[in-house]
Amino acid sequence: MVDEDERKHRNMQPENIKEILSVVSSEVPALIKSILNSVFSEEAGRNMGKAAAAYYKELKNGGMPEQVAVKMTEDYMRTFTSIGDMLRSGGMMRRHGEHSGEDIGAEIEKKIHERLDKKARDADEGEEEEKE
Amino acid sequence: MVKTLFKATPNLAILGTSVFWMYLTLGSRVRKARRAFEKQLVSQGMSKEDAKRLSACYNDLKNNITNMLRRQVVNFERP
Repeated sequence: MVDEDERKHRNMQPENIKEILSVVSSEVPALIKSILNSVFSEEAGRNMGKAAAAYYKELKNGGMPEQVAVKMTEDYMRTFTSIGDMLRSGGMMRRHGEHSGEDIGAEIEKKIHERLDKKARDADEGEEEEKE
Repeated sequence: MVKTLFKATPNLAILGTSVFWMYLTLGSRVRKARRAFEKQLVSQGMSKEDAKRLSACYNDLKNNITNMLRRQVVNFERP
C-alpha cells in the first residue's frame, strides 16, 4: 500500500508530467487528424462519391425514375450524417442519463402503434375507394 | 505545482495550437471533400443541383461534430 502511494507520488513529479504531456501533445493531434482525414479529405470524399454514384447508377439502370433515384441516394447519404447524430446523442445520453432502456422501449412501442394505425387507416381508405 | 505548470506550458501550447489549427482548416477540408464527392456524382449523370444538395451532408456532419465537441468543452467542468 505504501509502495503504491510512493509510486503514485513519483508519477506526479513535474518531470514525469512533462514527459506524459509531451507524448499526449504529439499523439492526440495525430489521432484527431487521422480521424478527420478518414471523413473530411479529398480521398474520402471521392470514395464516398464513388459509392453514392454507383448506387444512383444502379437505381437508374434498374428503371427507377430520376427523382426517386435521387431521393433514395439522399437517404443513403443520410446514414453517413447519422453517424454524427449518433455520436451526439450518445454523448448527451451519457451526460444526462435522459433515456433509460425503458424509455427507448416505450418510444419504440409508440412508434409501432402509430405505424400500425396508419397502415390500418390506409387499408380502410383503399377498400372504400374500391367499393366506390 | 507552479513548477509542474511551468514545465507543462510548452506541451499544452503545442496541443492547443495543433487542435486550433485543425479546427481552422476543417472548413477547407470539408470543401475539398464536397467537391470530390460532387464530381463523382456528376460524372455518373446526376445534375449539379442534386449533387450539391446531396453533398450538403458533409456540412451537416461537420456541424454535428463541431457542436458536439464545443458543447463538451463548454460543459467540461459541470458534473
